[in-house]
Amino acid sequence: MMSEYVDSPFQMDEDLVPDEECVAQKIPSLLDKGQTSLLINITPDEAQFAQPVIVADERNIGGTSTTFPEPEGPLKLRSRIGLLKSEEATGTTTEEDELTYEEDVDDKFDKDAAARLHAEFKAAQAAQQKQPLTPPENFAPVIDKIYRSSFPQAQNFPFLKKLGLKSVLCLIPEEYPQSHEEFFEQEGIKLFQLGMAGNKEPFVKISLSLITEAMKILLDPENRPILIHCNRGKHRTGCLVGTLRRLQGWSLTIIFDEYRKFAAPKERSMDQQFIELYDQTDILRYAQTHNYLPLPWD
Amino acid sequence: MAKEAAVDPLDESSRTAVASLSAAPALRIIPPLNFCPVEKQLYRSGQPSLINQSFLEQLNLKTILWLASEEPMEDFLDYCLGNNINIEFVGLINDYSYTNINPWDSLDERTIKKALELICNQDNYPLLVCCGMGRHRTGAVIGCLRRLQGWNLASVSEEYRRFTGARGGRILVELLIESFDVLSVEGDPAKLPEFLR
Repeated sequence: MMSEYVDSPFQMDEDLVPDEECVAQKIPSLLDKGQTSLLINITPDEAQFAQPVIVADERNIGGTSTTFPEPEGPLKLRSRIGLLKSEEATGTTTEEDELTYEEDVDDKFDKDAAARLHAEFKAAQAAQQKQPLTPPENFAPVIDKIYRSSFPQAQNFPFLKKLGLKSVLCLIPEEYPQSHEEFFEQEGIKLFQLGMAGNKEPFVKISLSLITEAMKILLDPENRPILIHCNRGKHRTGCLVGTLRRLQGWSLTIIFDEYRKFAAPKERSMDQQFIELYDQTDILRYAQTHNYLPLPWD
Repeated sequence: MAKEAAVDPLDESSRTAVASLSAAPALRIIPPLNFCPVEKQLYRSGQPSLINQSFLEQLNLKTILWLASEEPMEDFLDYCLGNNINIEFVGLINDYSYTNINPWDSLDERTIKKALELICNQDNYPLLVCCGMGRHRTGAVIGCLRRLQGWNLASVSEEYRRFTGARGGRILVELLIESFDVLSVEGDPAKLPEFLR
């Protein structure tokens, strides 16, 4: 009787007795090949750690399969040494001579951290160690072929590769680390950089002309699939997505709700004001004359 | 009473000022609560209703995967019927295989499996996955889908919590996502949507 009871979230999968109905529904072609799963195989031991392991079975998944072999001893050690070294190298960040606001301290591009992550990525690459897919933080599709995220890290490259990006729209003024430039070049990704300051309350304002410029890039179907990112994927990206939603005619209430979802817990009322007050006359005319509206969902 | 504040209908200047303030807003496109694209032609949201009509028309939906324990409003059912949108009910209270009876209960594994098998079939696209608020039930199903796609658990959890509102995520839902056996999902490999191939 207990095995019938599948409602408890604590129920382990291994405890489930497969009922005959389920077995009968199995697809014959899969059974013929002795294949029991559709996509991803997890050995019983690993299943409880919820580490998805994709098993190479090219018959069914078209060669996109990946395996995660254990790195060999010496390589693993070397990558750890590399990591330790890079951690030593990153000292204190030099204080910038500008007003900082407490809520913005983590919204700064950290060059040292980027260099450290690059070293980590190289070490992992050298060890041929493959990770499960890791999207950048705050990743989401906006419409089909327009994506948003925080600053992508080297460990996100395998994920980004799957998106088949044609271009990237970067909203921060800092230069990319070497690993990013290599990756973009290798993937043939066109880079647009429109460095803008964030809407730090109460003084700095996002430049209207830069947003209009960014919108023109997004509207051009030739540039898609495109990824928009800033540093955290909250404020600058949120403002741009908000103005794009206005072009889609969305109600402001829903636009603000979406902005807050991605900016939480650091929503800025200035950003929401910006989205509302952005004068879209020019970009609307631009979009209409180029026949870009309505923006396609698929 | 402040008489000065009253609008004199004969005063040209005050009338135009009022007119510009009270002009009827242009057509507002209203996506359902917590709407977000998930993958190509796959969307998530809270319970859609008729105020979302002009928005839903843009999506050209073929199927709505209804995870809420309550049935949709009568007028919304009529709308779907008239627009050839198929509603798949998974997780209704009176579902014979469903033993949780409260709207706030999580989905069970069998229900999630059923939902994922509908998502794994390209024939159902464009597809909207929804529940009451687009938070926990939708989040559980999309979370398990992300694991099927090979996402790491931390990224799955980050996405889930983005949609759960101020009260945050439910540990039970996250445990469910973590322990869900992605192996149990069955379907026709030829009908997989592109992003799962």
